[in-house]
Amino acid sequence: MHNRFRQCLRRMSLAALTMLAAPVHAADLVIAMPNWPSGQATANILKVSLKQHFGLDADVREMGTLIAFAGLDSGEVDIYPEVWLPNFDSLVKKYVDGRKTVDLSPKGVPAAQGICVTRETADKYGIKDISDLADPKKATVFDTDGDGKGEMWIGALGWSSTSIEKIRAKSYGYEKTMTLLQMPEDMAMAAVDAAAATGQSIAFYCYSPHHIFELHDIVELTEPKYDPAKWHIVMPSDDPDWLSKSEAPVAWDASHFYIGFASSTAARLPKVAAFLSNIDFTAEEVTEMSYALQVDRQDPAKYAQAWVANHQDRLNAWSK
Amino acid sequence: MTLSLANRSITPKSNDRRIAGRRLVLGTALALTAIGATLVYAAQTQVFDPQTHKWVEYDKKKARKYYAAHNEVPEAFRPQMVKFRTAEVPGTIIIDGNQHFLYLVQPGQRAMRYGIGVGREGFGWAGIVRVGRMAEWPTWTPPAEMIARDPNAVKHAAGMPGGPDNPLGARALYLYERDQDTIYRIHGTPEPWTIGLDVSSGCIRMRNDDITDLASRVKVGAKVIVLMQGAALYKGV
Repeated sequence: MHNRFRQCLRRMSLAALTMLAAPVHAADLVIAMPNWPSGQATANILKVSLKQHFGLDADVREMGTLIAFAGLDSGEVDIYPEVWLPNFDSLVKKYVDGRKTVDLSPKGVPAAQGICVTRETADKYGIKDISDLADPKKATVFDTDGDGKGEMWIGALGWSSTSIEKIRAKSYGYEKTMTLLQMPEDMAMAAVDAAAATGQSIAFYCYSPHHIFELHDIVELTEPKYDPAKWHIVMPSDDPDWLSKSEAPVAWDASHFYIGFASSTAARLPKVAAFLSNIDFTAEEVTEMSYALQVDRQDPAKYAQAWVANHQDRLNAWSK
Repeated sequence: MTLSLANRSITPKSNDRRIAGRRLVLGTALALTAIGATLVYAAQTQVFDPQTHKWVEYDKKKARKYYAAHNEVPEAFRPQMVKFRTAEVPGTIIIDGNQHFLYLVQPGQRAMRYGIGVGREGFGWAGIVRVGRMAEWPTWTPPAEMIARDPNAVKHAAGMPGGPDNPLGARALYLYERDQDTIYRIHGTPEPWTIGLDVSSGCIRMRNDDITDLASRVKVGAKVIVLMQGAALYKGV
């Protein structure tokens, strides 16, 4: 009995070692990390969670969405934490629906996109609707270089939303009254900070969840509701004449973002795929993540450790 | 007495334009006799007189007059701690050329704010850079393009030693993009009355006392964000 017990124990130890050792080598998983704060937080939370619950080591590598999707397709990338829809509809169509190499978790985080102003801009100058930007007199409220046109940030170079904002500016007519600026998000947010500090008016592309709504009193401009019949988007990657062929004089559709993962990863690690599919971050949680990293300047890795430690109940639920 | 500034009125301003103007409250005993009651258009900055409810230009001439009368720049352009809510880490420099302010982010959602002079129209730029190095009473060597367009710069082609007449003033913060010098600097000036104006060749100038104070608070490697708003030309450095 004693020997049988020892043999059994040895077998169990070997099995446990095998279970642990099999996935424990460099880059068991590769998590592609976006360059915005909530995506950075989520990528790190996934890394810590996968280690804790599955004993898997994950590499977090910063990369853009297009490269991440190519990696998911080829199997070089396993997970991408924020696939925004409708922004990346074309990628979903290609890789999720077409090639079937990428899966999306079924539980999206509700998000919003549009054009925002500071509360002071809205109250002082009556700029509350997106049509106000096409009014030449009202647009001068945002003129900072004396050319008679306003200036506004529409997103960073390379963001799919930036192309769509160009289309919307053309469709609403404010491309003629406003100079559309593309620049890194840090520059745009610092401009909002400076405008808020001095009471200067400012209009800018905004998305939520985002910490800027915690930092400043921000108002989203009203718009005609989303209408699929009026939303015709051709992306620059698909057609050089994308802008002239596109039209979108309505608000963004209700947005969501999802965790994306390679189908090959799902086949290799079905429990991980099930875990990712169960994750249901709330918009409030994502805002908190964004604020913690971007405003409180918490280290993403340490923040992720603390988040996982404080949310064991949720992780256990996701792991079932 | 309270005065306000509105900036960059390159074109004559209608009333609508003034409503739209960027107004920065100046809590100062700014003598309007020095600024002058006459309105002269086509300058860079305006000062609001709450007594007459009129905007008066803050151009080079007015700036000189004001400085001669007070031996000071208007209060808005003097160093002061202000409320400044931002996601940027303390130690970051944010430059708002449109309003002629440089912010040094401090802990507790505050910032040290200084007045600056910025590039003339056509020399404006914007981007994210870093402080690559700093120097005390630096030598000034005009860039080749300046030598080509400005005959006064030719005699200093080999470098002008640091000193009270040197255009770089008491300190220079050399702005780098990664490891490359961008040729742009935040520096002092022997012409303190030019603070609040668009006068330089793309550099950011400050009073010598202010740049000395800033240099004492800044570390090499500090992030510097030059805002795009108001920049006449975005080069992205």
